[in-house]
Amino acid sequence: MKQYQVSTAEKKFIGSHLLVAILALAVGSLFGPLQAFEHAGWDFYPYLRPLIKSYYQGLTVHGVLNALVWTTFFIMGFLTFNVIFGLKRPLKNPVLNKVGFWMMVVGVVTAAVPILTNQATVLFTFYPPLKANWAFYVGLTLVVVGSWVEGWGLFTTYLAWRKENANERTPFIAFASLITTLLWQICTLGVATEILTMLLPWSLGLIEGVDPQLARTYFWFTGHPLVYFWLLPAYISWYAFLPKQAGNGKMFSDTLARLAFWIFLILSTPLGFHHQYVDPGVPPAWKFIHSMLTFGVFFPSMMTAFTVVASLEHGARKNGGKGALAWIGKLNWSDPSVAAQLLAGILFFFGGIGGLANASYNINLVLHNTAFIPGHFHLTVATGVTLSFMGISYWLLPYLTGKKLWQPKWATIQAWAWFVGMIIFSNSMHVLGLLGAPRRVPLNLAPYVPAEWNSRLIQVGIGGAILFFSGFIYLLVMLKTALNKETVETEVEVPVAESLQDVSLTPEWLDRWAPWIYGTLALIVVVYGPVLFDLIKNISLTSPGFRVW
Amino acid sequence: MAKKDKEDDEFRPTGTIAVLAIFVVTLIAIWATIYVILVQRGGTL
Repeated sequence: MKQYQVSTAEKKFIGSHLLVAILALAVGSLFGPLQAFEHAGWDFYPYLRPLIKSYYQGLTVHGVLNALVWTTFFIMGFLTFNVIFGLKRPLKNPVLNKVGFWMMVVGVVTAAVPILTNQATVLFTFYPPLKANWAFYVGLTLVVVGSWVEGWGLFTTYLAWRKENANERTPFIAFASLITTLLWQICTLGVATEILTMLLPWSLGLIEGVDPQLARTYFWFTGHPLVYFWLLPAYISWYAFLPKQAGNGKMFSDTLARLAFWIFLILSTPLGFHHQYVDPGVPPAWKFIHSMLTFGVFFPSMMTAFTVVASLEHGARKNGGKGALAWIGKLNWSDPSVAAQLLAGILFFFGGIGGLANASYNINLVLHNTAFIPGHFHLTVATGVTLSFMGISYWLLPYLTGKKLWQPKWATIQAWAWFVGMIIFSNSMHVLGLLGAPRRVPLNLAPYVPAEWNSRLIQVGIGGAILFFSGFIYLLVMLKTALNKETVETEVEVPVAESLQDVSLTPEWLDRWAPWIYGTLALIVVVYGPVLFDLIKNISLTSPGFRVW
Repeated sequence: MAKKDKEDDEFRPTGTIAVLAIFVVTLIAIWATIYVILVQRGGTL
């Protein structure tokens, strides 16, 4: 059956997102290994002084470009593709999407200037009272608002489709992409409020002080669902594309997949206090409630794990896979896109386990602000998400450009190198955290490092070096593919897995938006409302800004 | 086609159950290990 043809203009538009994302990853990834090398005692920062003044400036560049820019641009491009291809119709208002995209680009450039000139060395969490140049906050605001505008473009496209297809189930990839977009629109209200009501007027000198407690609460209103904004696009690929790629498998349960996405929407936002267990301004009872909701997210996560693995198994069994575990060997490991996503999924399993440790109040109190935390999120966002996105780009870029993937073998090596490098890096960081090593500290300069940390710090450096090699190969494959003179003979097939069950049997209530949206908003109001009301009522804009770099 | 549908109908994700069982056991083992390490260290840093 002939696939829906995405127009050349729309392919270029989606490709523009990938271009910005990959450029951000290229620059940001230069600094990740520098952090790791510093820990190992190989400090290159003094040699970069004319350009980069400190470890913290490098860490800010790494965090902002990799965790915020690479992810947001890749995601908006991928979601746009999913909505167009899933609904089999062009964007309803392409101008709206373009305006959103260019707002994001202008935002990135605006934020990059103070970061690169050492005027915004506030790390990617930009906690006050660290005070950045106003342009940093304006830039971030433009990125967020631009992504909203792009999201509105996707919603209007959906509404137009719904008008023409009143009784049809929303195709899964479009459905899941729209939920991800909605989640982002809701959760970013926190950081938008933080910047517009406090940080921006403060940085412009319109108000003298800031309330760090309220700012942190706004930040984590966005900060944890941000993790799901990163993860859900990877899940979309694991649910809907990977089974087809890995062995012509079918999605095991369309119903379960849709239900998981709705639960993610409901539970992603009202649990931010598990990042604030040590914050004195949040009452313990609310911390407990948020911790329980955090554990609640374990259920859609396990539903996802079950459906994805079952979908993979379905394909592997058809290809002769046997045994309880031996079927895994029948998956299409030679395809770099598959290898990258499977390896991402394997490490993400361990990231999930670390996440449950973080969410446990008693354990969190001793792991908080240790190296365990970056160890954890390098398994989730830097592997579960990033390695999956790399895997997606191995078929998406040839699809968008019509160019053959350059050296698929090297792409496969890249995926394995990332896997190995991340095991070494992340395991060492987790252990260092358990031994009490703090995060966000240039440990090479710290006078208190005990001997028992030394071997682990070296491993952090080795892991970082392997990751640097892998990142370089990824960028090389992307560049060489984009410039490849060899074109694909026929258009690359978009590997959408069919559903094992008849999609029309999926309950209709899973395709109704209003009850889920009302439920989401109601839960947010119930579990955030009282604390936010109290913090706003007692707002204390008294803390001056600090520049400690 | 009919044979394929039958295969699909008869598919039981037993391997998936095995994978998830390993995951749950690993989860409990790692969580407990972290807990014991931290308790042994006195729970403070």
